[in-house]
Amino acid sequence: MKLKDLRGSISEFWNEFRKVKSGLVGLGIFVFFLLLLIFEPVLAPFSETNTRWRDISYWDDNPQSAYPIWVNFFSAKKYAKSSVLKDPQVSEEAFGTNRMMTYTFEYDYQYDIAPSDLILKIQGTGAAMMDLTFTRPDGETVYLTSSNLKMVEGGVSRISVDKGSKSEAYDFLGGFESRDNMRKFQRSSIKPAAILFAKAQENMLIDPEPLKGKYTIQAAILLQRPEDTISNVELVVPGRVFGLLGTDAFKRDLFSGVLAGIKWALLIGLLTAIVSVMVGVIYGVISAYLGGWKDSAMQRVFEVFNSIPLLPVLIVMSAVFKPSIWNLILIMCIFYWTGSVKTVRSMGLQIKEETFIEATRALGASNFRIIFKHIIPLIIPYSFASMALFIPGAIVYEASISLLGLGDATIVTWGQILRDAYTGGAVINGIWWWVIPPGLMIAIMGMSFAFIGFALDKILHPKLRTR
Amino acid sequence: MSENIFEVKNLQKWFPVRRSMTDVLKNRLSYVKAVDGVTFNIRRGEIFGLVGESGCGKTTTGKILMKLLEPTGGQMILDGQEVTHITAERLRKYRREVQMIFQDPYASMNPRFRIRDVLEEPLLIHKVGEDHQARLQMVAKALSEVRLQPPEEFMERFPHMLSGGQRQRAATARSLILNPKFIVADEPVSMIDLSTRAEILHMMKLVQRELQLTYLYITHDLSTARYFTDTIAVMYLGRIVEMGDPDDVIDHPRHPYTMALISAVCEPVSGKVNRIKDVPIKGEVPSAQNIPQGCRFHPRCVYAKDECRNEKEPELEIVEGRHLVACRRYKEI
Repeated sequence: MKLKDLRGSISEFWNEFRKVKSGLVGLGIFVFFLLLLIFEPVLAPFSETNTRWRDISYWDDNPQSAYPIWVNFFSAKKYAKSSVLKDPQVSEEAFGTNRMMTYTFEYDYQYDIAPSDLILKIQGTGAAMMDLTFTRPDGETVYLTSSNLKMVEGGVSRISVDKGSKSEAYDFLGGFESRDNMRKFQRSSIKPAAILFAKAQENMLIDPEPLKGKYTIQAAILLQRPEDTISNVELVVPGRVFGLLGTDAFKRDLFSGVLAGIKWALLIGLLTAIVSVMVGVIYGVISAYLGGWKDSAMQRVFEVFNSIPLLPVLIVMSAVFKPSIWNLILIMCIFYWTGSVKTVRSMGLQIKEETFIEATRALGASNFRIIFKHIIPLIIPYSFASMALFIPGAIVYEASISLLGLGDATIVTWGQILRDAYTGGAVINGIWWWVIPPGLMIAIMGMSFAFIGFALDKILHPKLRTR
Repeated sequence: MSENIFEVKNLQKWFPVRRSMTDVLKNRLSYVKAVDGVTFNIRRGEIFGLVGESGCGKTTTGKILMKLLEPTGGQMILDGQEVTHITAERLRKYRREVQMIFQDPYASMNPRFRIRDVLEEPLLIHKVGEDHQARLQMVAKALSEVRLQPPEEFMERFPHMLSGGQRQRAATARSLILNPKFIVADEPVSMIDLSTRAEILHMMKLVQRELQLTYLYITHDLSTARYFTDTIAVMYLGRIVEMGDPDDVIDHPRHPYTMALISAVCEPVSGKVNRIKDVPIKGEVPSAQNIPQGCRFHPRCVYAKDECRNEKEPELEIVEGRHLVACRRYKEI
């Protein structure tokens, strides 16, 4: 019987809710966020985003400040995509006790803008010597680097062309570029990858033309002791575009970060709104019901809390206490509950004059019973609406606090991403994809709850449903 | 056991009026004297009718008797026990002994409660009945007492699914479920269709006889009062002006106000329907904040003389038997 009634009232409510278009839009967005939240482990390209967001080594293979991948659709010049070449051709030669392992990678380059780097990753044990050779489709060969590898079990050796082969690239450039142009650049400031993938001609540094075709990268590794081993040789090509939302200046995948921010935004918004509205509703009803000097006293207390501006308090509190997300939510609740008090009190004043309240009093009911069994159930619909309207505010406050650098640095919130964008020079360097997605997410999530709240308000407020 | 279940002596309820700053400075206090010295006795097992127009203080009197309002002065004795000012503990017991039926059956029940929950609430509050099942049986019994048949069907309904008459029956059942001695019925049929009024009153009378209850029946409707009550008291501006058996008061009214009330009753008799009645009264009810000097009815009384204006207010005096009137000139009129 009870379950049937519940289902009946839900379907009745849904029929009314369906008529408010904006509410449906808000609900749709909210459901979309919930789905993203549920499927976060599947969707996130980097599974350890939540724990290793601030661990630079985790993100090392990504390109730095790469555009989102869809930028290629809108751009006439195609940016190189990021890729990992995993299956080199291997050949082995023995010279007595020495072994020469040769790993040959083929890279088909069909873009207009060169990748940002070439990174060779080697796992193994012991010591080895390595030569890296780069052969271009036009037949030119560049010796990129010779290095000694000291490998430990479990560790990964990384050879970055961008960092280690500037000199060799400069020398290669010298064979084609004019003397005047060469003078404009210093050896240490050039980008090797941009030179390696450009047509060998004058102005190849200033206005490079892409040389498309098959490139060969050969790593020759000399192992001197029989117990030394080599395994998992990979060539990482960090492109100029990466993932759905690109990367930031610290090579982090922004899509993973934005996805990880959803749950915190929801937690902050929902928890703050639920706790503070509950406190506010109970406070407002008690104040209205008691009346007289008690009401006046409670209203003065409310006014004190109401007139303290939240943001400065949050800044001071975050500076004094350890800035954890729970502290932040607690402080927000302490100052947020006042929002619904006035409305609830006025509703309470109206409801307490109803005859059925007097009738209940005549039966001998305690104040507690009257407040919690008779008055508050009538205010619950309103409190749902006001909760929904409180959520965006809480999310924005967290973002503001994080943006000021006082947020919880152990979690990934949209505010934290914005903070990093601010300090990481996103604005100066024009990395718009670092700023817009988290900002937009804050706005969209706020909007979805605002829409739901307005719709609930429209449905529930005018009637109060007393009969 | 005394003969009177309820004795009320010189009961007063003055509501303070919000004062302006100058009033506070001049130390001027003003009150709305809603009930200004009411004395009556209610005999065990009778139906005591309190009649008067709007604003005369009859509902306030009922609420004071219900202990929903604290009296400003006077004395109340229930069953020989002083109950004018009582402790919270005594109040709990008092709430079981004295119950109320409200005027508006639409508003007197929480719209979100089923009839079952409405009726179970007093049992829960006073911790009557061992478990839910036992309480439900008591609810069913109370519903059959007020002739809501079959009780099982009505128990599951919400108040808005009942007609006005059915609701008032349910409200009556709620007041009966704790077995009170005394019930204050505040215009229980004034919001109910004329067609069902008599039915409800009949039911209330049957229940009263079965359970030996005493009612205080508050109404502005002389005709139901006459039909329903054993004693009628007519109130004007916070005071009883005439009291006695319904036959005496209605058929031989002695107070000019009672006469006016009776002549104002509509009579659906042919030949009298379209006639504008000549009611022997003038003016409007004065504010209870400014009660006239002397006899409080004199500004509206067509028989008033100087003595009525200047001399002390008349007290209730015996006309004959139980018939009392508060008019110094009743013999001349």
